[in-house]
Amino acid sequence: MSPLGKRFKLVDDFNQAENHDYHLLPSRFAGLDDGRYLLSNEVGEYLVVDRSQLESYVKKAVDQDSDFYHDLKSKHFLFDDDSNVAIDLLALKYRTKALRTSQFTSLHLFVVTLRCDYTCQYCQVSRQTDDKHAFDMSEETARKALALVFRSPSPAIKIEFQGGEPLLNFNLIQYVVSEAKKLNETHKRDLQFVITSNLSFLDDTVLAFCQEHGIHLSTSLDGNEALHNSNRPRPGKNSYEITVKGIKNAQRFLGRDKIGALMTTTEKSLSQVRSIIDTYLEHNLDCIFLRPLSPYGFAVKNHQTQKYDIDRWFEFYKEGLDYILEINRQGHHFVEVYTQIILTKLLSPFNTGYVDLQSPSGAAIAAIVYNYDGDVYASDEARMLAEMGDRKFRLGSVHTDSYEDIWLSDVLLDTLESSLSESAPMCHDCGFLPYCGTDPVYHYATQQDVVGHKAFSGFCAKNMKIFKHVIKLLEDPDTKKILTNWVR
Amino acid sequence: MTKHELSFDVRVFSLETIKRALYRYQDKCSFDIQLRDSDIVIAFESSIEDMADRIKREVLDQDLRDTISKQTANVRQLILANAFSNTGLIG
Repeated sequence: MSPLGKRFKLVDDFNQAENHDYHLLPSRFAGLDDGRYLLSNEVGEYLVVDRSQLESYVKKAVDQDSDFYHDLKSKHFLFDDDSNVAIDLLALKYRTKALRTSQFTSLHLFVVTLRCDYTCQYCQVSRQTDDKHAFDMSEETARKALALVFRSPSPAIKIEFQGGEPLLNFNLIQYVVSEAKKLNETHKRDLQFVITSNLSFLDDTVLAFCQEHGIHLSTSLDGNEALHNSNRPRPGKNSYEITVKGIKNAQRFLGRDKIGALMTTTEKSLSQVRSIIDTYLEHNLDCIFLRPLSPYGFAVKNHQTQKYDIDRWFEFYKEGLDYILEINRQGHHFVEVYTQIILTKLLSPFNTGYVDLQSPSGAAIAAIVYNYDGDVYASDEARMLAEMGDRKFRLGSVHTDSYEDIWLSDVLLDTLESSLSESAPMCHDCGFLPYCGTDPVYHYATQQDVVGHKAFSGFCAKNMKIFKHVIKLLEDPDTKKILTNWVR
Repeated sequence: MTKHELSFDVRVFSLETIKRALYRYQDKCSFDIQLRDSDIVIAFESSIEDMADRIKREVLDQDLRDTISKQTANVRQLILANAFSNTGLIG
């Protein structure tokens, strides 16, 4: 027995692998920049390597005394006679990453009305003018949708009210919240509510209701007054004024953490990223999501998506992220949300709930949409596509179909099966796979194919650029310190 | 547009490896693939100056990917089976 006692092994015990072969563990790689590669394993641990390191790793020629060998071993790219726990650890980490898939649908979107007081050119949702009650969700539809919501086994349920402008059907929101809470007395889930609103109709009654039920608000803020008003026109041309007033009121009555804002990038935004971020800081918002335009709804009808390409959007994102890092260096914690999602995947064993970066696709099994008329869609984008005339991803109706009919429908199962990145050409052996996902509705909308050819895919081009950029930013120790703090 | 022809020895690279490499460049050009004796010959037209070099590098990358995939297929199955054991998700 070792003089150190049973719990400790002698140093020699750790050197058994000397002069023995090592075994490769599953890994993938992708070009990072000139001559360098990102090498990642099944659970997303990664190393940046050069070509000769990559080749020597695969050919099992790495010197077992080198730092590189120990990096490969500690990050589970190989195992040898010394380490027999790698497979168990990888399995545990893989299961942790896949946990959300097994928990099933947690986000339930209720489109309570298609009516809206805005006339945004880029709107991804086909809106109706605000006097057509025919486009409101009824209590009967809502009740049937709620019955489906609580069939999901997810321990956390989030109900998000969308539109149109959902506050135009506030009575129904009140009804849904009240009924959901009653049902939850039996189901006992972690139940949350969000209203996605332009805040035009945010009055004291709505604020009091939100306060009473702990409801979060999510709004749109596209940037400074001129940009916001131009992107988001409404009668009175005062959308910025109304939104900012609503944000302030919500912050004061509900708390800063109860209101968030999203921005949409249009051609006019591209040269103004610093000003857009300054607007968020000015209104005490602590994060921004630099989003590109989606190829759906009015954005397509009005050719908004053709006006700038992925390269131009990436320059906008990069400039914005640089500026945000500068703000963080000055001691102000301010986060870019998409980067935060990717960092969480890169630096933690956990997956995020972000639907667009999941494999299998998050369509219906992470988030699902109940339209005003009771039709059920695999995602918000699927509903937008349907409103453009293509009902490919309509899964059924709350009025005629059961939980089993909807979640076991051929269209959903076929989509999920074919959208697994692990079996998609160009994705299955890509080094970025553990951080990426699959977006069948996007690829169907742009290529009429749920898998899509990734060489032609804007989704792939955008994400590859962002992954490479973030991984290179992490090479600077000071920047890494800031970015690590963003991980949730 | 310049015409290019590249040949790869089938004793060194598999047809599958070549096809995977070319798939990645289908947004840049289209390819003709032929078998001539012990060579896989690909022909294409491109105005991109270093297209032939890019393809050669990609073939080498795909060859390495193929090696990793073959050598780790069993252990990958083992990890996945281990990951989902006792979860009630697999029979």
